[in-house]
Amino acid sequence: MSKFDPIEERAIEMLDDLRLEAVRAETVVHDDKRFEFVLWTLCLRGVPVIERVCRRRGEARGLGAEEIELATEDAAARMLLRLSRPEPQPQIHALAAEVAAACVDRAWPQQPKPPRLSARSPRVRLIKGLDEAIEIGQVRPNDWETS
Amino acid sequence: MSAGEDAFERAFQQALDDLREGEEKPIESYLRLVPEEDRPQLSQMLADVFLARGPGESSSGGTESEGYKRALAIVEEVLGSRGTSGILPGTLKAMRNARGIEPDAVVAELAADFEVEGEEGRQALARNYHRLETGALLGSKLSRRLLNSLAAVFEADAGDVLAAARPAKEGPSLRSVPAMGRSGGDRPPPSRSEAERLPDPEVELVERLFHGGPDA
Repeated sequence: MSKFDPIEERAIEMLDDLRLEAVRAETVVHDDKRFEFVLWTLCLRGVPVIERVCRRRGEARGLGAEEIELATEDAAARMLLRLSRPEPQPQIHALAAEVAAACVDRAWPQQPKPPRLSARSPRVRLIKGLDEAIEIGQVRPNDWETS
Repeated sequence: MSAGEDAFERAFQQALDDLREGEEKPIESYLRLVPEEDRPQLSQMLADVFLARGPGESSSGGTESEGYKRALAIVEEVLGSRGTSGILPGTLKAMRNARGIEPDAVVAELAADFEVEGEEGRQALARNYHRLETGALLGSKLSRRLLNSLAAVFEADAGDVLAAARPAKEGPSLRSVPAMGRSGGDRPPPSRSEAERLPDPEVELVERLFHGGPDA
């Protein structure tokens, strides 16, 4: 990462999210020497959000530890992609949370499918007098071998 | 998705949307939107998102976890490899690894997208994709349709991919020259033996995609 005035670096670190985003949008267009440091500072704020959203949401969705970590890495890369855009972006924590949620929610190859339950209970009817009819031989019970 | 999960999704999304607009409400107002049993989880997630603001980091742990370290390592690696194709090479590699996609699978999808069926064309695709991922190409010479196709392969926004390919000012100045398809100037038509050595049209297409500029 390129280095510049440490006082200016400190000043960037002290900016709140809104101002930092404004500086990003300004520096990204001209590839200002500060851009990389601004990007790094934004990522330092976004990564903890990514980590937590991926962990909590991933656990809730039944992902394993390795899958959660992969989603975290994926989200970190995608956050960087978004921060490359010249258009203004949402505040970093909202952006990070949005990207992280999308990375957890994607289709996972080995994710177990939820059990498919029967949509409705079987229809049964009570036939009055059936027991009596069987007794007197008027009807016969089902025989799996012959029917 | 059950009604409860649906409500949870809607509440979380609503919170993110409000936050994006700078109009976030107290956490309680989002919690009211979900069934009681889902409130602890939603409140935890919203707290994580809402607390991470301003300079310095939120105090609620997590920064020592393996996931945090791996995500930060990705950021460092991508920024460290920023060059003539911007951060695109690093992000492509990171997303590919995170999603368990082999380079061959990327090449196969590009080949299908651009209808490259011959062996030479596929080899050219593989060679150029490798060069792209290792930062050996110029971002400004990548065609828009290639970037769109890559965005589809990685389920990313095409605008994000396009922006990521913008070259860094301080990157090494490489010259990107297509290996094939250069103009022959005023030379006479090629003889039969020369014609036999003409580049494969699919290879030419691939070279244009990777070296021909945005409109190629």
